[in-house]
Amino acid sequence: MASEDEEFTMLFQDFYPSLCRFLECLLGGRAPLAQDLAQESFLQLHRTAWGTMPVGEARFWLYRVARNLAINEFRRSHTRYKLFDRMVEAMRPRARNPEQEYETQERKTLVLEMLQTLPEDQRTALLLREQEQLSYREIGQVLNVSESKVKVDIFRARAALRERWNKVSGLSRCAGLGT
Amino acid sequence: MNCSFTEKVSSLIDGELSASEAREVERHLLGCDECRQLRADFLNLRTHIGGFETSLQPEVQNRALKKILGTERRIPARGLGWSFSPSAVAFAALVIAAAIIGLLFYQSFNKSDRDSQQLASVQQKQGQPTPAPTGSAEQSKQQPQATPEPGREQQPAPGKSNEETPRRQPPKKIVREPKPGEQFAVVPVPAPIRPADSQTMTAMHFEKSETLLLAFRNVRLNEPGTAKEVSYERKRAQQLVLQNMMLRREADAAGDVQLSSLLESLEPILIDIANLPDSPDENAVRTIRQRVERKNIVPLLRVNSAVLARALD
Repeated sequence: MASEDEEFTMLFQDFYPSLCRFLECLLGGRAPLAQDLAQESFLQLHRTAWGTMPVGEARFWLYRVARNLAINEFRRSHTRYKLFDRMVEAMRPRARNPEQEYETQERKTLVLEMLQTLPEDQRTALLLREQEQLSYREIGQVLNVSESKVKVDIFRARAALRERWNKVSGLSRCAGLGT
Repeated sequence: MNCSFTEKVSSLIDGELSASEAREVERHLLGCDECRQLRADFLNLRTHIGGFETSLQPEVQNRALKKILGTERRIPARGLGWSFSPSAVAFAALVIAAAIIGLLFYQSFNKSDRDSQQLASVQQKQGQPTPAPTGSAEQSKQQPQATPEPGREQQPAPGKSNEETPRRQPPKKIVREPKPGEQFAVVPVPAPIRPADSQTMTAMHFEKSETLLLAFRNVRLNEPGTAKEVSYERKRAQQLVLQNMMLRREADAAGDVQLSSLLESLEPILIDIANLPDSPDENAVRTIRQRVERKNIVPLLRVNSAVLARALD
């Protein structure tokens, strides 16, 4: 049993931050909620499915469950966590260089906002590709769709983001903000 | 994005093209500025999206891990994956325990029932040869238990209260149903025929038959009143023939070959004696005597009756 816990701990240490990032991007920020959902995903894995599948399969299982939990959250009120998230953000310790911190935060916010303009399936496919480096086939397994649909979704997501990014970059250049 | 290679550029940077397709797209990129810019923008997006840093604190991660490992797992890690909640396990254990206790009670109940039946049958066996009308109160109470009879069950003996009657009647299988026309069936308290009773009757039958055959051997044939003397043996033989047939049937059914063969050899002699005319011929009587002597049946009857009497003792 101890070895199983150790194995689970290794999986958790490897993928919990990635899952948090994936969920945070999927949810458009809301880091505390993303962390809660990531924890809930691992909890479900530990309680019900851990040991019944290979470790490699567990990773896909985690993303599948996390995405479903995120979709459930989309269906709920979007404004419920906003105040709490802003409070957490205000209380978060700041970096020593405020200017650099500001730029990083701005870019992060821009990425999140642009991702939120994408349809959920395109956003999820793109995040799994760009952040988790999953292949089209693996993304298809997670999302339970065909490989060709994944390819099309990713291309459309990139094309849409590129268009918006170029617009935002033009506006930023005009306003004196570099990318 | 008017170029037809734009979608392939997306697949190219993901490494999802075959080697030949990748070479083709790479060649196209050399001559297509739009696609080169597209690839640069896609890679720039990758940098921003892939470089997204989550605001995860290490303590939050450790706390989450402790919480997850602290929770109880529902299924075993390996095997069939059956899982039961503690309440379900407790309920199943209770049901099993109750079933075992019930089985033990049932067995002890049946055992006491069987013991009481055996006790009753033993008491009945002991009490039957000499039915004492002036027995003790205990014997008079146990007598109905040992001799259950359909007619008497429904009509309890007068003078006895319902409390005295036993609650559980012994199974009726141990009592043989009286056959129609059987003599003891009309006796007020008929004793069911059991092997011991059958042996007793056989022993008595052998004694009577022996006495009859001895008497028949001593009949004086030369005297004028021969018919009178034979008439008694004839009547006696008529009675014994029926009993002989019944006992032979029982011996056959019980598989007692020795007894059955003795009764079988006795039967024609009894029939012959029973069928003698009123004034029998001297030769007929002599023939029967010779058959009795030839079969050596009198000593056989004596020996067997003695053996049976010893076995009953």
